[in-house]
Amino acid sequence: MITLENIVKHYRLGDVDVPVLKGINLHVEAGEYVSIMGASGSGKSTLMNIIGCLDRPTQGSYHLENRDLTTLDKDGLAYIRNQYLGFVFQQFNLLSRLTALENVMLPMVYAGISKTDRRDRAAAALVKVGLGDRITNRPSQLSGGQQQRVAIARALVNQPSLLLADEPTGALDTKTSKDVMALFHDLHDQGITIVVITHDSDVAEQTKRKIHIQDGLIID
Amino acid sequence: MSITKLRPHAVPPLEVGEMAIAALLSNKLRSGLTMLGVIIGISSVIGISSIGQGVQKSTEESLRGLGTDILQVMAGEAESGGISQGQGSVSTLTWEDAQAIAEQAPSATVVSAYLQRSAQVVYGAENTTTTVYGTDLNFPEANNTFPATGRFFNEEELDAAASVVVIAPTVQENLFPPNVDPIGETIRIQGEVYDVIGVMEEKGAQGPMDRDDAVYIPLTAMSARIIGNNSLMGTSVNGIYLKGEDESQLEALQFQAENILRLRHDIDVPENDDFRISNQADILETLNTILGLLTGMIVAVAGISLVVGGIGIANIMLVSVVERTREIGIRKALGATDSTILNQFLTESIVISGAGGVVGIVLGVGITFVAANLFSFAFVISGGAVLAGFGLSTAVGLIAGVVPARNAAKLDPIDALRSD
Repeated sequence: MITLENIVKHYRLGDVDVPVLKGINLHVEAGEYVSIMGASGSGKSTLMNIIGCLDRPTQGSYHLENRDLTTLDKDGLAYIRNQYLGFVFQQFNLLSRLTALENVMLPMVYAGISKTDRRDRAAAALVKVGLGDRITNRPSQLSGGQQQRVAIARALVNQPSLLLADEPTGALDTKTSKDVMALFHDLHDQGITIVVITHDSDVAEQTKRKIHIQDGLIID
Repeated sequence: MSITKLRPHAVPPLEVGEMAIAALLSNKLRSGLTMLGVIIGISSVIGISSIGQGVQKSTEESLRGLGTDILQVMAGEAESGGISQGQGSVSTLTWEDAQAIAEQAPSATVVSAYLQRSAQVVYGAENTTTTVYGTDLNFPEANNTFPATGRFFNEEELDAAASVVVIAPTVQENLFPPNVDPIGETIRIQGEVYDVIGVMEEKGAQGPMDRDDAVYIPLTAMSARIIGNNSLMGTSVNGIYLKGEDESQLEALQFQAENILRLRHDIDVPENDDFRISNQADILETLNTILGLLTGMIVAVAGISLVVGGIGIANIMLVSVVERTREIGIRKALGATDSTILNQFLTESIVISGAGGVVGIVLGVGITFVAANLFSFAFVISGGAVLAGFGLSTAVGLIAGVVPARNAAKLDPIDALRSD
């Protein structure tokens, strides 16, 4: 599914190159449920941005479904994000102006799917995450757990190869965290590939494979 | 398979438009206030240019009503101790001059001389101050103004300096009750009694002069009783109307008249002319030039408010991009390309400005309509002005939106997602 080989990332801070990732090798198979764990400053966010095609590595290669992504331009990366990747963020990142349904429809706007198909698929995705009765609510009318489930529906609606979750329970209380993790379990059972980035070992414990990152390197 | 040329689907313009309208409607007060600048700018440009055109058209029509095949010879300004007494104040033109032009200028078909004074006219207990014209038999033909009822005075009456008067409609209205036929009644002009023999047709106000507020008496009667001069020869006149065959003859006629008058007045160089010849076409042209200039100047000022409106849009769009940094980050993470984001914000700017333009056009046309009815000039809306107004407002939105939209498109999605 995804293969990262010798990924190096430097940031320029003034005159100095600061190495953040120092040679990451990672392979994730289709259908895997993986967590990437690390303390803040370990480079896990940078790794997640590179896997999410929001950033480019300074060196190394990144293959998604046997396609080399390092040669892609900005528009190409946007296409990959739209078609192959689904994002779930700590802060949900829903558009407050739009209803739950409209938020879920948004990735399909950029995929060129017709309006009626968009509506049907978004409604179906919301039913799947248990929010079939909330489709006309705006984010402000939903609880944190509900908002995160809308975000998960949005991440899945374009049928991505990979669901990428960045601290998905970071802004939720214990009970709703459990609900969201249960949902991830269900999705994993349905065969969806999931990568969760977290600093929370309780979250990491629930995944099938744990990867630790420290000082820009994978340590086990 | 190579995917280096992968391009995401471009969002169709109509859908970008819908997105823009939804975003603008989510903050109605701000959008409305931002539009106001363009509304004021476009409505003033449309309103003022249309009012200018309407006034121009009405002036032109009324001047054409007098006939454009006519020249007017005005007596030169008399000077008293180096101070100009005003055009026609003391006449350098005489009845003889008029006769000479009639006889010697081959292009002249009608020649009519006149004297003119402001005087009080009385009927019974009613009185009004009007312009009294002392003139000859050719006056109606020269001015394209004929009696509607009754008749103009005849040769016999002119020779005898008869006390007869033809009145114009405004004077009739001011002096006579509606149920009284003025013909056969007598009125007094400066104390002298005159028999009313005709009422002129209505001509409407003709720019500076109002032919409807006047009375006409024989030049001889005017000269003898009001000015005080019994001989026709050597009688001063204030002006002479000259009519040619048609408009094309006016230049020749003017040349002939000038030469005849210079000979008679012993003038060797045109700079010393003690008379001035003007024609309606010249007056029309001058009026049009002045009106056009005035309109242009006011439209330019209105255009400045459009620029200010554009700056307002640019300002609000810049603020909006900063406020919506996170939204931009989310959209990019979901697959929006830089150009899609650029289009979205540019469209918002164009929609807000274009909508302001449409409201401004409607408002401008409304203002013109009300003004045209209030001040009775022609209601003219040129399609060109409306199109230009719409084009201008769209262009303002486009220009104002470029920098904010580029800022939005260039945002790094990682930074944008991290912003509050």
